[in-house]
Amino acid sequence: MLDMNRRIFLASGTALAAVASLPRSAFSMGHETLRIAIAAETGDLNLLQNVSTLSSYTVVFDGLIHYSKDGTLQPGLATKWTVSDDQLSIAFDLREGVTFSDGTPFDSAAAEWNLKRWMGVPDFSWIGVADAFEGITTDGPNKLTVKLKRPVPAALIELTIVRPVRFLSPKAVDAEGKQTAPIGTGPWIMESFDSSGSVLVRNEKYWGEKPLVSRLELKVVPDELARANGLRAGDLDIIGGDWVATLSPRRARALEAEGMKVVAEPGTATMLVGYSPKSKIIADKAVRDAIFVSIDRAAIAKVLFEGYADPTANLFPASIPQSGSRVEVPARDIAAAKKFLTDGGWSESGGWMKDGTPLTLDFLVSEESLPGSRRIAEMIQGQLSEVGFQVQVSSVDNATMHERRPAFDYDLAFFTTYGAPYDPHGTLGNAFVSTADSGPDGKIYVSDELDVVVKAALDATGAERDRKMQELYDWLRNNTAICPIVVSQRLWAHNPRVENFSLPATDYDLPFQGITLKA
Amino acid sequence: MTSKLKQIKDWPWLVLSPVVIFVLIGIFAPWIMQYNPAAQNYDATLQGPSWQHWFGTDYLGRDIFSRIVGGARISLVAMAIVLVAALAIGVTIGSFAGYVGGRVELVLISVIDIALALPSLVIALALIGILGTGYWSMITALTLAWWANYARMSRAVVTAELQQPYIEAARVMGASHIWIFVRHILPHVLGLVVVYASADAGALVLAIATLSFLGLGVAPPTPEWGQMLVDGMSYIEEYPRLVILPGMALTLVVVSFNLLGEAFALQKVPRPVRGGLLRKRRRARAEEEQARQAAERKAASA
Repeated sequence: MLDMNRRIFLASGTALAAVASLPRSAFSMGHETLRIAIAAETGDLNLLQNVSTLSSYTVVFDGLIHYSKDGTLQPGLATKWTVSDDQLSIAFDLREGVTFSDGTPFDSAAAEWNLKRWMGVPDFSWIGVADAFEGITTDGPNKLTVKLKRPVPAALIELTIVRPVRFLSPKAVDAEGKQTAPIGTGPWIMESFDSSGSVLVRNEKYWGEKPLVSRLELKVVPDELARANGLRAGDLDIIGGDWVATLSPRRARALEAEGMKVVAEPGTATMLVGYSPKSKIIADKAVRDAIFVSIDRAAIAKVLFEGYADPTANLFPASIPQSGSRVEVPARDIAAAKKFLTDGGWSESGGWMKDGTPLTLDFLVSEESLPGSRRIAEMIQGQLSEVGFQVQVSSVDNATMHERRPAFDYDLAFFTTYGAPYDPHGTLGNAFVSTADSGPDGKIYVSDELDVVVKAALDATGAERDRKMQELYDWLRNNTAICPIVVSQRLWAHNPRVENFSLPATDYDLPFQGITLKA
Repeated sequence: MTSKLKQIKDWPWLVLSPVVIFVLIGIFAPWIMQYNPAAQNYDATLQGPSWQHWFGTDYLGRDIFSRIVGGARISLVAMAIVLVAALAIGVTIGSFAGYVGGRVELVLISVIDIALALPSLVIALALIGILGTGYWSMITALTLAWWANYARMSRAVVTAELQQPYIEAARVMGASHIWIFVRHILPHVLGLVVVYASADAGALVLAIATLSFLGLGVAPPTPEWGQMLVDGMSYIEEYPRLVILPGMALTLVVVSFNLLGEAFALQKVPRPVRGGLLRKRRRARAEEEQARQAAERKAASA
């Protein structure tokens, strides 16, 4: 029996207090490695080139502002920001004491050098602040002001995106300014990468909450079944994420049944059927109205998404800022669909016809572009055929999709909104503006009238912005310009070795924060 | 037993029967299918085999048995169209090249060689890239990818037959080119090419399924085995029958056609003389020898 005298009691108490004061990272094993599956190799993480997967950047590079799970903006490398009343300048207080992983201090000079690599550069004019950029002024080592030619209401959200916005060490470039190494201020340092994966080690100088594991391996596993098997075998700890390594709802259910942990949360990207503005049949609003009520969104969510999706009639889910008032999801109504067609001048005898034109639609899908889309198209085809539509599902490869979609060479095609943190301005500015260069993504719907409404919404500021955005959503709804289907949930799975798993802020981020591994 | 009856008896019926069953299923599919193969039933998705659904249902509640039977019809029709079209093109071009000869033959044989230098499926994929996806694009692409073999064989047969004395005799007697070709050469060409085509049928069914597997062939909701395979892949862990059943149907048909082609080919190969036939021949030879010796003895004594 131990005699508890005052000296022992004080010594024990002091020891306990010392242990309790240690950061959580001190308890983690020195060589613990968290292994996350990625579908494609990370590449060299060049911030100015569109070659690496977005999620890989987020662990190495920080931004001035971080996007949180609830859509609010949180301090990143900037501790404070102030937008001037005329919205023509944004002043940032930069975080003090931050260094890049090569030891270079992060200060206003480094920030200015980084911002000037893409702001005002034509290649990045798709970013509002880059397009409206006028100049940068610094005031000491930790104060920086970005000046704009015109107000950019979405400027702060734009500063949360991944590429090219995040910050690189000014020493990690060659004489021509080309990036030579992925050196950032983020929680991880890239140790090595090749076609099979990347190895990262914890950045012990990280300014924020450090990861609790010391190593992170991003393993390239392109096939979804192989990823699931890797998780089962213990070769992988975490799989999932729409922009990381997609986990299908069916596979998630199978893994869940085998004792793996599946984490699902409401998503931020909407899947919708886009109507081609060049299609003569689709130009008839009666046809669009009929399609809108013919689709059984609840059945799609239940049957093909295994319940891991939420039926919707809105362009954006509620978690997206300024996503407008909620629209009730319509129940499937074949009689209403037929009435729309009849009222629109279509005659049903022997198949729907109007002015000698049969009601046939070309539904463009690409499994490569959007995995699972062919089955969804098949289901919608079945539902539309019960109304009397003749739908031809054209299954094409990625290249053909990228050719036909921007040319509006279809009647119906699938689209997905960009999701957080790119919305609402990203999708609205690219997929609904006739003059925007949306590249291979094409456009969900465009018209001269809509251009005016979108411009008014995107240019509006303050309370006016909410009102104008709602007007835009009302226009889309009243003209049945879009046909939202579901918001698929964010799906991740991890093995029981992983503890304290929580979903990252967006689908472009990787989960590691707070995660510990069982021995 | 007449020789005709004996020939029929000698046929490899065991090998032929799966092909006959496949053809019959394809022809009578509309009467065999229990359900509309495209009909979706969300309340009966992914059900196991039962009296209502012999092979169960798929992820959209469609009857798998009906879809496999419907798939047989699609594969049969597509295969038949491609074979007939490819045979027509191949035999025409090959025979023309062989019959006309000279520079025309040289040019045509070069075209045939180029077509043969590339795998048929690669040519089909390239053509679909140009023509676009869909049933008729697939048929056209496969036809244009498949004719060259038949052309080469036809040309070889025509060239060989033209050397035969009876062709020369026909010419001397004033027969026209058309008459000589149709009456004397074409039967030989078809005799060989059709045998080869019977073995090719399996490869074609597989090619049709491959293109549909890649999403470049038959479009939904038409049931097709390759398409069923790719759709079932997502469910392979929990519902392997979605993949196994169309896979088995495909395997069975391909193997059957291959065996049939082999059996056809073996019918053309001279059989080794064994058993009773051998004894019979030996006896005949001995009798001939005895007769010859008897004749010689008779001649000597005379």
